Amino acid sequence: MSGGWAAKELTEKGLKTLVLDRGHMVRHPEYPTALKDPWDLPFGNRITQETRKRKYVWSRTGYPTPANELWFTDDLDNPYVEEEPFDWLRAYHVGGRSMHWARQSYRFSPMDFEGNAREGVGIPWPISYDEIAPWYDKAETFAGISGSVEGLPQLPDGKFLPPHDLNCVEVDFRKTIADKLGRKLIIGRCANLTAPLTHNESPQRGTCQARNMCIRGCPYGAYFSSVSATLPSAERTGNMTLVADKIAYEVIYDNEKGKATGVRVLDAKSGAQTDYFAKVIFLCASSLGTAYLMLNSTSSRFPNGFGNDSGELGHNIMDHNKPGGSSASVDGYLDVAYTGRRPNGFYIPRYRNVGKDKRNYLRGFGYQGRAARAGYGRFNDSALIGAELKQAFQEPGPWNISMTAFGEILPYHENHMRIDRDRKDKHGLPLLVVNAVVRDNELKMQEDMRNDAAEMLEAAGYKDIKVNSDDFHVGNSIHEMGTARMGHDPKKSVLNKYNQVHACKNVYVTDGSFMVSSGCQNPSLTYMAFTARAAHHAVEELRKGNL
Amino acid sequence: MSELNDAPGMQARREILKRAAWLLGGAISAPAALAVLQGCHQKTEPGVAAAAPKFLTAAELALVAEIAEIMIPKTNTSGARDAGVPAFIDLALDGLYPAEDQARYRAGLVEFETAARASGKPFLEQDEQARADFLHNALAVAVNSDRKPKPFILMTRELTLLGYFSSQVGITENMEYVAVPTAYHGCVPLSQMKKHVYWE
Repeated sequence: MSGGWAAKELTEKGLKTLVLDRGHMVRHPEYPTALKDPWDLPFGNRITQETRKRKYVWSRTGYPTPANELWFTDDLDNPYVEEEPFDWLRAYHVGGRSMHWARQSYRFSPMDFEGNAREGVGIPWPISYDEIAPWYDKAETFAGISGSVEGLPQLPDGKFLPPHDLNCVEVDFRKTIADKLGRKLIIGRCANLTAPLTHNESPQRGTCQARNMCIRGCPYGAYFSSVSATLPSAERTGNMTLVADKIAYEVIYDNEKGKATGVRVLDAKSGAQTDYFAKVIFLCASSLGTAYLMLNSTSSRFPNGFGNDSGELGHNIMDHNKPGGSSASVDGYLDVAYTGRRPNGFYIPRYRNVGKDKRNYLRGFGYQGRAARAGYGRFNDSALIGAELKQAFQEPGPWNISMTAFGEILPYHENHMRIDRDRKDKHGLPLLVVNAVVRDNELKMQEDMRNDAAEMLEAAGYKDIKVNSDDFHVGNSIHEMGTARMGHDPKKSVLNKYNQVHACKNVYVTDGSFMVSSGCQNPSLTYMAFTARAAHHAVEELRKGNL
Repeated sequence: MSELNDAPGMQARREILKRAAWLLGGAISAPAALAVLQGCHQKTEPGVAAAAPKFLTAAELALVAEIAEIMIPKTNTSGARDAGVPAFIDLALDGLYPAEDQARYRAGLVEFETAARASGKPFLEQDEQARADFLHNALAVAVNSDRKPKPFILMTRELTLLGYFSSQVGITENMEYVAVPTAYHGCVPLSQMKKHVYWE
């Protein structure tokens, strides 16, 4: 996600740029399963025992199927240590998680950037909403984000392509919760091209065909990924060299120059070691991956890990609090349905601890959900057989609605990762150890997440309301962040406000590592905006001779 | 039968079968039903003859295929057999389930056959109406149980539906399949849709 943006911005500004990825090459539009019909997929597209065994962490999410599992890294092959259950969901291939992300794209608001300072949580963000807003504009415009303009202070509007439709049930649900509870429901803001892009920088990208198979990779280039959007832009400049299957495991630091001079890599297949050198380095290996690389880079100057003067590197891991979904059945609407497959759902923006609302915990959560008509799965637990059953196939099932809350997790120093040098993976690299849990604030919030969901579904008169109370493991939302936070004070943070390592200015970190608080919004758009801003800063500083 | 004795889970399977027989207490013992299901003189299930089944014996497959076909018979649209459901179920049982579910499935299959024989004839030798009645009753009992873990007959049902609606005939003859819809329309009267159910 962020790596592609760094590549695009740096190459477009004229820098010869080497892009290293630890996984295999992926090129647009070569997505092997993208155009397969359902009958061409094995096992009814259900996850096999073999995949469950090999991808045992990914299996906890329920995502892998034969159609998409090529984007889900083999967990057995890539061990790590969970001191507390932690779902570290890796995407080791060119394009990384941007290949299979859920494409939900929301801005952080002034309230999010100011919260830590106002409430004395963690450390203050070193940057305001107004400073990042133009970079959100840039990220949204280039990526193509669809959405509706709502004027909500807690969820700023952006440069949107036309919104997707809400369906008939969702439209009425929106009215009910607005009228009865004063809550807002909007269509999800997502990185799918509901209309042509407003620029001509991405001729390889077409509009969304409503197939809802994004997770396989889109041959139309209709959703934003590094492979479909940023890397092709970087490629066209002629300034990019992209090398796959190279595991960067150490930043090379030159004591005399006081600079990083390059990175040390292993070839993922041969194990051969190579050093690559550069004037400026961007680390975009995902929050745990980047912090691992930095912690693994020790020197006389940085005995506790590269850039780790503060002792905060690897700490303050956040994710999004997601204790389980809620669902209900919906009476009526039997004479209407929808056509096409919408790669998006509705969003109920945060309303807790907004304005005059005050709860017994800090921050809040938003819901993502959808209403749909039940498919043939409704016959699984039925005794209907024969011609009667086949007759029933001809009609759509009743409507149902489901939604899941995503909430903020506060930064806790205790939620951390480190390196165990006594245990090694197959490359001989030390194992990552992670220990992160949700605490009192998050558990109190979970009560509201469940109760409010039931309240809204009841207010709408829906039946058979089910509220899951699954245990939530940090990492399961695949939004882990915060391991190298930015801040004004080098004693309490790893990066400055431009994503530069405080103690080594020619290294930038622009994946989720830099985050100071998690908000409750899906974070990728924020990573894009900060990466573009950091790249701009790096090129300016390079030209001024400051790096 | 000897080659099967070495298969993983056989010991557990025999234990479960013993228990199933005791619970049923029918005129026909489970081992007898098992012997028939594993017998070498059963007719081969048509359509699966080319490739040997992966998980089920030929006799087990014949029983499962008939159950699937009674659930989704050939009418003016394809039935379970036309859609390749028997072979699908065999592969799915092999690839999708852990050993304990596989053992439970096998035991349930024997239990089903054992109970069917209480009427005096093996399931596959009963007339069409008797088979449908027996199956419908077995489903009704299972649906009204706590269904945890999922009993044999509901596993078969789920796999039958999954196999049918993963097949080209199952999908295209019962639904509108649009590979490239081009647009999403959120609120469409059924009267304006080509078919009432679209594949999604």
